[in-house]
Amino acid sequence: MVDVDKLKQELKKINDEAAKIREMAPEKRAEFGRMINAKRNEVLGAIAEAEKAAINEDSVAIDITAWSGTNEPSPEFYPAEMGSAHPLMKELDIVTSIYQMMGFDVVESRQLDDEYHMFDTLNFPKEHPARDGYDTFRTEEGLIPPAHTSTMQHRVLKQFKKNLDEGKAISVVVPGRVFRNEDVDATHEHTFYQCEGVYVSSDCTMGQMLGILREFFEKYYGQKLNIRTQPGYFPFTEPSLEFMIEKPRDLGGKKGDFLEMLGCGMIHPNVLKMAGIDPSKYHGFAWGGGIDRLVMLKYGLPDVRYFESGNLKFLRKFN
Amino acid sequence: MKISLNWLKKYVEIPEDVKNQDLIRLIGARLVEVEGVIDETHKYDKIYVVKVESCEKIPDTHLTLCQINVGKKDLVQVVCGAPNVREGMLAAWIAPGAIVPASVHEDAPFVIGERKMRGYDSCGMLAGADELDLGDDHSGIVEISPEAAKPGDSLADIFELSDLVLEIENKSLTHRPDCFGIIGFAREVAGILGVKFVEQPLAFKTSGHVADKAEFNPTVAIEKSEICQRYSAVVLEKHGEMKQKYLTWQDTVISKSGMKPIDPIVDATNYLMLLYGQPLHAFDYDKFVKVSKTSRPEIKVRLARDGEKIILLDDTEVSLNENDIVICSGDVPVALAGAMGGKSTMIDENTKNIIIEAATFSLYNLRKTQMAHGIFSEAITRFTKGLSPYQTLGVAGKCAEMLSEGFKIAGMADENCCKNDNSEIMIGLSEINGLLGTDYSKELVIKTLENVGFEVKDRKNLFKITAPAWRMDIHIKEDIIEEVGRLLGYDNISPVLPLHATAGSNAMWELKSNLRDLLVKYGANEILSYSFVSERLLKNASQDTANSYRIVNSISPELMYVRQSLMPSLLEKAYKNEKLPVEKFAIFEMNKVYPKRFGLDSEKVPAEKMSLGILVAERKSNETAFYKAKKYIAKVFEELGVVVKYAPFVKPAPEMDSYDPKRAALIYVGDELIGVVGEFKKSVLHDFKLTAYTAGAEVDMNLLLEKASRKKEIDLGVYKEEDLTVTTDKTYDEALAEVQAKNPNAIITPGTIYQADGQKTRNITFHIKIA
Repeated sequence: MVDVDKLKQELKKINDEAAKIREMAPEKRAEFGRMINAKRNEVLGAIAEAEKAAINEDSVAIDITAWSGTNEPSPEFYPAEMGSAHPLMKELDIVTSIYQMMGFDVVESRQLDDEYHMFDTLNFPKEHPARDGYDTFRTEEGLIPPAHTSTMQHRVLKQFKKNLDEGKAISVVVPGRVFRNEDVDATHEHTFYQCEGVYVSSDCTMGQMLGILREFFEKYYGQKLNIRTQPGYFPFTEPSLEFMIEKPRDLGGKKGDFLEMLGCGMIHPNVLKMAGIDPSKYHGFAWGGGIDRLVMLKYGLPDVRYFESGNLKFLRKFN
Repeated sequence: MKISLNWLKKYVEIPEDVKNQDLIRLIGARLVEVEGVIDETHKYDKIYVVKVESCEKIPDTHLTLCQINVGKKDLVQVVCGAPNVREGMLAAWIAPGAIVPASVHEDAPFVIGERKMRGYDSCGMLAGADELDLGDDHSGIVEISPEAAKPGDSLADIFELSDLVLEIENKSLTHRPDCFGIIGFAREVAGILGVKFVEQPLAFKTSGHVADKAEFNPTVAIEKSEICQRYSAVVLEKHGEMKQKYLTWQDTVISKSGMKPIDPIVDATNYLMLLYGQPLHAFDYDKFVKVSKTSRPEIKVRLARDGEKIILLDDTEVSLNENDIVICSGDVPVALAGAMGGKSTMIDENTKNIIIEAATFSLYNLRKTQMAHGIFSEAITRFTKGLSPYQTLGVAGKCAEMLSEGFKIAGMADENCCKNDNSEIMIGLSEINGLLGTDYSKELVIKTLENVGFEVKDRKNLFKITAPAWRMDIHIKEDIIEEVGRLLGYDNISPVLPLHATAGSNAMWELKSNLRDLLVKYGANEILSYSFVSERLLKNASQDTANSYRIVNSISPELMYVRQSLMPSLLEKAYKNEKLPVEKFAIFEMNKVYPKRFGLDSEKVPAEKMSLGILVAERKSNETAFYKAKKYIAKVFEELGVVVKYAPFVKPAPEMDSYDPKRAALIYVGDELIGVVGEFKKSVLHDFKLTAYTAGAEVDMNLLLEKASRKKEIDLGVYKEEDLTVTTDKTYDEALAEVQAKNPNAIITPGTIYQADGQKTRNITFHIKIA
């Protein structure tokens, strides 16, 4: 136990010493001042620590094996009416269960990954601008909090490659949390959720990709939908598309009102090759889209910042 | 990028049955994202070409009283403040009731009327370029060539101003520099419409102009071919004055494309950039040679030296870095390549001879230059897409042609480091249809590709395809498939569902789903919080920053560390909710954590754990929060059939430093530590500004999953129930063990605990059920 009084005496000594600065030659004062300040801060820090420790010492032990406090009633759970699941998580559950129904395995995405999975295995040219610091976070070690769930594509391809050997398809969805170096406002978050899809077989086509995506959204919205596409560009798919659906009537959609839902495309042969899949025998397609927006549309939420706010006045509405 | 439909239609014929709306939709579906359409159909309504018949100065003002011929029998009187108004000129007249074009997109568009000025009736207004939204010039009114129009003509008709302007999302064209010019865009539109695009190849023609003077022939040295594939320079010698008198159609397309007409030389370079997608730059020749005192322009393209300085056209001095590419005269930088010209060689009104530069530069270097110096010009937007070097000299020559009224070609140089021969790609029709899921005929595929300049040789079942010179992005079969699929329309592909095997399950995903349902049923609230936390948050929670991965380019200090446990975030959210105020709550989160001490896994990425964190808090309660937290976490174990032991808080994991050792327990499954439950150190509560009734629990969900039992027995037994109270100085578990030993077959659950004032012993009550 550190003696706080002792430390305080030491501090007094330092302060007395500091007073000598007036008797010193002016050119020596700066150096002396720095030295004294460093000493003073060190002791002040130690005092703060010691005081903290003293406060923490001042606590009464309890019987941790018991189930209620002495002379206290037994604790109760809060009533079910108070409970709430997070709307994003609930939605992600709905999304993955539809895909599972359609025969897709579920693999959750990582939240800290590396250059190899985030870029190299996805056919990003070495100097691709997306690699530099402007969009992607990096740790001291060069690790990357992924900016998209595609960071899992290579792993998923390798993990499920055996399906192909058995004459089956690889069909996996990857829900997960992703990060972008982006300022936060009502429609932008640096932290959000995506769901990725990966499909590989010996005879898959773009028509199948469009079929699966349409099926998903029709199941999700419980109605027939018009779909539309637009050319896009991603290094890891070729051809690449943006996929749109006509805004469902239930959500106030009018005819011709299209929503961009996700990016998709046929998996680039280099991506297959890197995972040890022969692109002359197998083809694949992949897609990825945001979940936050689905939830915002569904509940008419004006501000994406609610999701990570932890604000119970908001969250308890999802009882 | 802005694309004028009228300009576009000069290069591609749109069939009559394709309405503008259809065309725009097709462009969106098969080429680029059209962000918006600016409707300028009526922007120039009621604006006419007029002839100024007479001018009379209004005394003591700068104003002129003009009688103008608007193409009708009677002259119209208008007061004009422009110094350049004169008798006989053709001008643009905004008639009463018309809106000033520059104000059409403002909240309150300015409607021209008839009014009195200095006592004179003035009907309508003679317009300057700025009012017409056709430039920045405010020095006078625009003049229109008598060869172009006659009084009474509608200005919109003469200059094709009734137009739709497409706003293109540049990001959707990152890999298509060839589409950043009207011609390239038109080629794609032709392809989409299924018609052959008519190429108009550019050839550099000196037409005998090149002077026989050595000083006009520049030398070009490129330091490394990676930074500049091709550099063409054409020297123009002045032989006459350029007339910039009349408003031209060229001015109007420059304006519609979002740029401003400035002077004949700059306008020519901008116009050609907008047309061909190849940026040009003009140097003052005489200043250029003066910089390095050479007899002829010695052009050098090199990487800048760190800290080297240059003053740019906009008067800003920038400090260059080793990534920037500079154009030098001799060795002195005179332009930041692709981004902006330098002040020292800038064109001005005294400029005689000029050097036209047409080059391509490394997009990677230029992207960094763009970010480092914050330069986002039309030119650098094009360079950073990776331009093909095929047309540099041709476009420079075209520029010379446009300026031929005042300049003649006096010299040129063309340093080409690029061997731009796109290699042949072999692909079969079945491969194309196979990947797209289509049934396109051989003829259709060939025609589709040829329409946009691909060379297709049909070799029985295989196409041998060569991409045109402007396409730098065609390398593999899939690139060809993309062209076919896109030009013929992905929307024409029939969606079908494949048949495939059933899915496996994801046990962790299911566990999360089950626990979510369970905890919600017991009144808890699921939250999400950021995966990144601040140093302050870690310190407040008594967690060691050395155990967290640190993000070097975090948005703010608030998001600098990857979290090692969920508890600091939950503590912070608890405070926020108490402040709202929310009286009582149990919040939980299930998310991944990455304590640094876990090291790397077999894939050499940080080992991760799924964690469940629960926190209970009440603003006003004198009871012990520990037991509420324990009740919640115990429910989780019970639900999953995991038998745990609550042990004294000794040797906890470093992530558990937030807890008060006297009021927390470690949770074990056998001898494996699975989690912790407890109240927090007083210093932690103080730093998070939380009340004493706060406790939390955090559990390793990976271990939880491993230990969870799928079996769940439902007990249908009939029991005799009674309460038993023992007076003891032992802990609950010790007392329980004694009671259990005496009643080996009983099911024992806890009751309350009572301790009288001043007593050492406690009365512990047990509920006992015996079969």
